[in-house]
Amino acid sequence: MRIETCYFCSSRIYPGHGIQFVRNDCKIFRFCRSKCHAAFKKKKNPRKTKWTKAYRKTAGKELAIDPSFEFEKRRHVPVKYNRELWTKTIEAMKKVEEIRQRRSNNHIMQRLRKGREVEWQRDVREVQRDISLIRSPAAGLKQKQAEEDTEMEVEPETIQVIDAKGRKQVIEAPVMVPATGEMIEDGGDVVL
Amino acid sequence: MPYKRKKYHVGDTHLKKRWRVRNRKKDLDQIDVDLQDDNAEKLLNQEVDLDRPGAAQHYCLHCARYFIDNHALLEHFKTKVHKRRLKALELEPYSIEDSERAAGYGNFKLPSKRKIVTQNSENTDITELEVDEESPNKKKKVEENAT
Repeated sequence: MRIETCYFCSSRIYPGHGIQFVRNDCKIFRFCRSKCHAAFKKKKNPRKTKWTKAYRKTAGKELAIDPSFEFEKRRHVPVKYNRELWTKTIEAMKKVEEIRQRRSNNHIMQRLRKGREVEWQRDVREVQRDISLIRSPAAGLKQKQAEEDTEMEVEPETIQVIDAKGRKQVIEAPVMVPATGEMIEDGGDVVL
Repeated sequence: MPYKRKKYHVGDTHLKKRWRVRNRKKDLDQIDVDLQDDNAEKLLNQEVDLDRPGAAQHYCLHCARYFIDNHALLEHFKTKVHKRRLKALELEPYSIEDSERAAGYGNFKLPSKRKIVTQNSENTDITELEVDEESPNKKKKVEENAT
């Protein structure tokens, strides 16, 4: 008794399930269900059919190349029965399975992380492009214009100052900036 | 008393014959084996078999088809069916071993891409080369005659 693998979707075939096709060159094609058998009869390529293991591995959706896959394999080498070897193998199988599970999960998480980064970048680009929907580019223009006008009106006044030592100096008078303009400029910036 | 409507010939269409297992054409992986040099040589130089179209003398390796004469074969090389087949053979065909690797028995192997050309296309190149080689000789001869 042996658990076979499906030719098309690479799933397990338990005894009493599925169907097999023997081609006239003695190759045996096993199928887990009629879905896989029908796909084979239609000459579909398992590498291009999205629901098969072969597709998921060629497309990089699942962990495909890893040393942990090298344990379970068809080797065509007879092994003499040895109870000690058997018990150790059983223990090793559990350990290997655990490691493989962890690595494949890790692979999937890495893959998804990349997608999340792309998503984030797309969001940033969208905000930058459509920032005008949040804040009109004309917002605060009027106040700025008014501010500039007032600045233009206020000419730099010069004051004659006489030093303590009796020298004459010409100093620009400090321009008074209206506090409201600053407030608008500070509040207007959107931090991305 | 109504007659029994006998449905004895339901589904007896000529279309069904094409899908019978005995009418199966070669799969891509079988053709891949055929493409190996020694197999290809055997298939391209078959003995006269009167049961086959064209007595099995005009065979397209990639499409696994017999043609009645050389003209038909050369016309076939220009068709879409043939070009599509070449394209399909470019990637290594899927095999039972691949299905096992995909199931996690051993490392998965990505299919490699190869260059597939129509059979005897190199031979035609050679004949052209020969023609080219001959022509300078002829020119030389002409020159010798002139001198």
